[in-house]
Amino acid sequence: MKYDSILDVIGETPLVRVAPDVHGLRNIDLYAKLEMLNPFGSVKDRPAWNMAREGLSQAVERGDSIVELSSGNTAKALAVIAAMHGLPFKSVTNRMKVPEIKDLLLLLGAEIEELPGQTECLDPTDTEDPLTRMYRMLTEEGSGYLHTDQYFNPRNLDAHRGGTAPEIVKDLGGRGPDIFIACVGTAGSSTGVAGVLREHNPAVSVVGLVAHKSDFIPGIRNIDEVNEVGLFDPANYDTIESVTAQEAIDGMLTLNRRCGMLGGPTGGAAYFGAVRHLKEIDETLTERRTAVFIVCDRVESYMSYVRQRRPELLRQPPRADSVDTLTDAEAAAAVSVDVAAAREWIERDRPLVVDLRGSFAYSALHIADSVNIVDEIFDELVRGGLPFGSSRPVLLVCPVGEKSARYAALLAKLGHRDARSLRGGVVAWRDAGAPLVRD
Amino acid sequence: METDLFLTPLVDGLLREVLDAPDTLFGMVEALGSPLNLVAPRQIAENVARYRAVLGKHHLGGGVFFAHKANRSSALVRELAAGDAGVDVASLGELRHVLAAGFSGDRIMATGPKDADFLWLAARVGAVVNADSREELAELASIVARHRLPAVRVMVRLSAFDSPGVRVLSRLSRFGVHARELGAVLDLLDAHRDELDLHGMAYHLDTNGLPEKAAALEGCLLAMREAAARGFAPTAVDIGGGFGVNYLVDQGEWERYTTELSNAVLGARSPMTWQNHGYGLRAEAGTLRGALGVYPSHRPVAGADYLDALLDREAPSLGRPLATLLLESLYDLHVEPGRALVDQCGLTLARVAEVRATHAGDTLVRLAANSRDISMEDHAVLADPVLLPARPAPVGPVGPVGVYLSGNLCLEDDLITRRKVALPRVPVPGDLLAFANTAGYFMDFAADHALMQPIARKVAVFRAGGAWKWCLDDQYWPVKGDR
Repeated sequence: MKYDSILDVIGETPLVRVAPDVHGLRNIDLYAKLEMLNPFGSVKDRPAWNMAREGLSQAVERGDSIVELSSGNTAKALAVIAAMHGLPFKSVTNRMKVPEIKDLLLLLGAEIEELPGQTECLDPTDTEDPLTRMYRMLTEEGSGYLHTDQYFNPRNLDAHRGGTAPEIVKDLGGRGPDIFIACVGTAGSSTGVAGVLREHNPAVSVVGLVAHKSDFIPGIRNIDEVNEVGLFDPANYDTIESVTAQEAIDGMLTLNRRCGMLGGPTGGAAYFGAVRHLKEIDETLTERRTAVFIVCDRVESYMSYVRQRRPELLRQPPRADSVDTLTDAEAAAAVSVDVAAAREWIERDRPLVVDLRGSFAYSALHIADSVNIVDEIFDELVRGGLPFGSSRPVLLVCPVGEKSARYAALLAKLGHRDARSLRGGVVAWRDAGAPLVRD
Repeated sequence: METDLFLTPLVDGLLREVLDAPDTLFGMVEALGSPLNLVAPRQIAENVARYRAVLGKHHLGGGVFFAHKANRSSALVRELAAGDAGVDVASLGELRHVLAAGFSGDRIMATGPKDADFLWLAARVGAVVNADSREELAELASIVARHRLPAVRVMVRLSAFDSPGVRVLSRLSRFGVHARELGAVLDLLDAHRDELDLHGMAYHLDTNGLPEKAAALEGCLLAMREAAARGFAPTAVDIGGGFGVNYLVDQGEWERYTTELSNAVLGARSPMTWQNHGYGLRAEAGTLRGALGVYPSHRPVAGADYLDALLDREAPSLGRPLATLLLESLYDLHVEPGRALVDQCGLTLARVAEVRATHAGDTLVRLAANSRDISMEDHAVLADPVLLPARPAPVGPVGPVGVYLSGNLCLEDDLITRRKVALPRVPVPGDLLAFANTAGYFMDFAADHALMQPIARKVAVFRAGGAWKWCLDDQYWPVKGDR
C-alpha cells in the first residue's frame, strides 16, 4: 500500500482471532484489535493525531509548543507529530515509570518535566492535581502552547468513534461484538468504541478494566484514578473489574508466546481480563458469541517493567567465568594482604594496582600509579580471558576489600599466578593514613 | 457503618503490652489527667539500630541524627544520648535540652533558622553547623573570630539541583542554597579557613519521591567533588530525613478507605467526613479534581527500608548505585530521621467526656483533649484510635460505629478528626481512646494552653523485671529499667 504521509497510516488496524485452544472458551470467538500496529506503536496514535491536527497549522505558524500530561504512548505519538512539524513537545508527568519510553521521548527531542512527589510534612494547602498545575502553568506563561488535553478533549473519543469502532463493526460483518473488553486509561478508546458498538448492537456488554489499586500497569488507571478523568463515565460500562500487574504479565506472555501478538502489559491485562470475564459466561451459553479486546501497544518498551516484576523471565544462565559462579571455597582461597604488606609489596615488586571503583571516586582520590578499571568493565574483560599476563603481579583494590577478594579468586581460577586483594580496601588504606593522590 | 472502613492502627513493641493492661492506664489518666502522652524510650534505640543496619549493609560510615523537633520528650533524647546516635537540633532551646540530656557537642548537628546566640552555643560546644545560607556562614565566621572559638565544622545545605535528561521538579524550599551558588559559598569558606571547616554537603527535601532525592544526593556528590577541587577535604553527605512511617496494619483497609472517600466526594455514597470534607479532593462536573492531601498512612516501604531503597538507586547521571558512589568516594552518610526514628515510640490517651447525637444523626464524641494535643488531623494521618472501655464494661448497643471526635476548645474547628473514625461500639463517658504512634509530631508539636486547657503530661514506660513500669518523662534516665 502506498501513502503520502506516515500520518495516513494511522488506523485500519487488523482484527485477529485468538485460537480457541489458547483461551479455552467453547462458545465465544475472541478477537484482538491490534492497535499496536499503528505506525508509532500504539492505540494513542489515533487520538494524538486527531487532537493535534486541530489547531496544528496555527501552531506551526506561531511556533507553539505542543504540551500534554503523559508519560507514555500519547507523549510518544505527540512527540513524533510535533517533531515532524518542527514544533517542540513538552510532556509533564507525575513520574516516568517506564524508562524505555523516557529514553525514547528524549531521543525524539521531547522535553520532560517530572512533578514533585508528595510532601512528607503535609502542606494542606498543596492540593493541586497535576492537570490543574498544568493549566496554571499554561496560563502563567501565556500563549505559545497547543495543549491537547487528552483526559478532557472530546476529540480523543472522536478518534475512536470515527475509526476504531467502525473498523471493528465492519470486520465483524456489520453487527459488532456481543462483549467488548477495554482497559480504562484516558477512557478514550473504551468510551469512544463502546458508544458506537451500542448503536449497532444495544445488547453489547462493555467490560472496563482498571489496575489493581496498589499496582501499576502502564496505560491503565486504578479504580480511584479513573475518577480524575473527564472522559470517564461509569455508566458507559456494564462492569468494571480490576487486574493486577502479575495478571497483566501473564496475559502478555500468552499473547506473545501462544498467539504471536507482541503486545505489551496493557494488552496483556486486556487479554487476561477478557478471558477471566468470558470464562464465567461461556458455561451458560447455548449459542455463539463474539468478543473483542484491544491490544494497545508493543512489548519491546517494557523489558525493565518485566525485569522488575518477573525477573526470572529474563534471567540469563550464570556465566562460567564470573564472580557470581565462584564457589565458596574458591572465594575463600583468595589471597588478601593488609595495608602494611601491600605498601611493602608495591615498594618491592611494583605490582599492577587495579582500582575497581567507579571513575567518579577514582578521579577524586586513588593510590598512586593505580589503574582504574571499573568492576563492570573488568567483568567484561575477564569474560574473554586474563586481561594481563599471568605472571604479572596484580593488586586489586575496591572500597572495602570484598569485591576485590572475589576478583582475585576469579583471576586465580583463570590461571593467574599472583593476584592479591587489598584487605579492607581503600577505606582501610585511608584509615591507616597511607597516601592517596588526586592527579 | 461499613465494617470494611476501619483503619486499624499499627501498635507494636512495648506499647502493645501497655494497651493490653488498661487498668493501669485508667489509673494513670485518673492521676495525671487527660490527655496523657506515653513515650517508650527503649524503642528509639531499637529504631536507631535499624538505620545502623542499613548503613552497615552498604558498608557506610556516618551517623544517625534524631531530628529533635518531632518530639520534646527528655526521656527519648536521654535514651539516645546513652547510645551511639547523634541529634539534630533546630533551636537554641533544643540545643540546651540535648546538652542537658548528656549529648556531647560533637554528636550534635545544628540545623534550621539560627540566631547569633544559637550559633555561638553550637560553635562553643563543637556541634556541626548545617548552614542554611551564605549569610549564616558569614555570621558564624564572625562569631567564631570575635569569640576566639576553635574552627567549627560546617555543612552546606543545598537545594534545587539540576537533573540530566528529564527535569525532575522539586518544590521551592525556603532553606538552603541553590547548587549553582556553590561557587560563591566556597569562596566564603575559603576566606574563613580558620573559622569554618567544611565537613560536607547536605540536603533535606520535603518529599517522599525517591527520584528527587536521588537527584539531590547526586547533586551533593558533585558538590563534594567541586569542594575537593578547591582544596577542601569534606568527608560527609547529609541527606536529612523524610523516610516515612507506616501507621496502619492493613494495606487493603487503606485502599478501600481512600476509594470510598473519593466516592463520597463524588456524591456516590454517604459522607465519611464532617460536611463531606474532601481532604483536598473536590468534585467538578462528576470528575474528581484536586489531590488527596493526606499522608500515605499505609506505606509498604518506610523508615530504614526507604533509606535502603534510596541507597540502592542508581545515580541519574553518574550511573552507579548511590551507596556504591558514597562508599567508593570514602564519604560518610549522615541521616536525620525525625518522625521515622520515633516510630512506635509513643501514644496518646484521652478520656471520653461526652457522647451526643447530632441533628443529622451523626455521633459526636467529645474528648478531654483537643486537636492541638492530638494533631494527627493537622498532618492528615488517618488511623482509628483504640477504644479502652471503662470498667465495668457498660451495656449498650454493640457493633462497629463511625463517630466524629471533637475537642475541648470553644472553637468550631476543634475537631480531633474531620472524618468518622471506626470504633467497635459507641463509647461512653469515662472510656479512654488511645491514639497510636503519636510520638512523631502529633504529641507536643502544636500543644498549647489555649483557653487555659491543660497540656498533656508525658510519662515514660519501660520494661523492668519482666513487667512494665512508668515514670514522669522528666524522671526518666537511661539507668532505669532492664537493659
